[in-house]
Amino acid sequence: MHELSLAQALIDEVLRLSAEHGAKKVLRVDVMIGAFSGVVQDSFRFCFETLASACESTVDTALMIETPPVSYLCIGCGHAFKADKDMRVVICPSCHGGELFPQGGDELLLVRIEME
Amino acid sequence: MCEECGCANRKILHVNKAVLAANDAMAGLNRKRIEAMGAVAINLMSSPGSGKTTLLEKTIDLVGDSLKIGVIEGDIETDRDAARIRARGIPAVQLTTGGACHLDAPLVHRGLYELEVQTPCGLDIIFIENVGNLVCPASFSLGEHKRVVLLSVPEGSDKPAKYPRAFMGSQVFVITKTDLMPYFDFSLAEAEKEALRLNPRLNILCLSSVNGDGMDGWIDYLNKLVNSPARTRARVVA
Repeated sequence: MHELSLAQALIDEVLRLSAEHGAKKVLRVDVMIGAFSGVVQDSFRFCFETLASACESTVDTALMIETPPVSYLCIGCGHAFKADKDMRVVICPSCHGGELFPQGGDELLLVRIEME
Repeated sequence: MCEECGCANRKILHVNKAVLAANDAMAGLNRKRIEAMGAVAINLMSSPGSGKTTLLEKTIDLVGDSLKIGVIEGDIETDRDAARIRARGIPAVQLTTGGACHLDAPLVHRGLYELEVQTPCGLDIIFIENVGNLVCPASFSLGEHKRVVLLSVPEGSDKPAKYPRAFMGSQVFVITKTDLMPYFDFSLAEAEKEALRLNPRLNILCLSSVNGDGMDGWIDYLNKLVNSPARTRARVVA
């Protein structure tokens, strides 16, 4: 359950930035969580909402989670491509080789904050 | 200016930074501190019971006085692991997380301070034994130079596929308890294939801390790491 630690780190940063900009309310927080980040999104959302509800400025904050597609590089033929929905590609669409190097997918980013 | 809905008062901030930026900054400080002690640091990650502490004990016995080792032990409770290391005359600091499933950079920062007090003459290698958990520790940078993930034969060869993050973020994959191979349905080929699929640059070692098989490869890896040019430079600067 490291999602709680991650959600706490996110809330800390959101509160710090909203105070810095003199905002009274945080309306929306956008994060990017990669498919290989090791984060369970439902747990992360639950932890975020629990922590956010304890603070006046974040009690109604909407959390938006984006999962970017993972890019792969085929070791065999050098073909670089992005996975569609299935993040765990096992075969290169170009040469049908099985040695694929995932690139990215471990994102855990605070992208954007909307406040007033 | 919108006066109907109040959106003019809204402010949008494009942040684009790591959620764990504060942890990462502390990890950077840890790295500097480790290098000032003349050491390289290895973050050992695995499930509970896969043999991290036993591997450290065996490593300490084999390297003798040739390498100065210090250990930071992470556990949820008790100082049993640190006691096992200290029993071999090696400086060890126990960090107890009190429930948290992973070590983070601020906690290790405290551990490094305590270790530094115990080792005024510096160290060659600092092992940071993470809390036994194949999931959570992988998300937290501690300031280590290398990540080593362990998997023991009884756990099964499907674990790299099931717990990808720990294998994707590591440089070395150590398969432990190979002396138990005859008694378990463990496919070395599957474990290697799945791990390399996630991380083609992974260095894979197989060993048994009990009968000593494969330990020479591990010790060789440590010696090379300690004597790597990058580390020698860091030492000169420090």
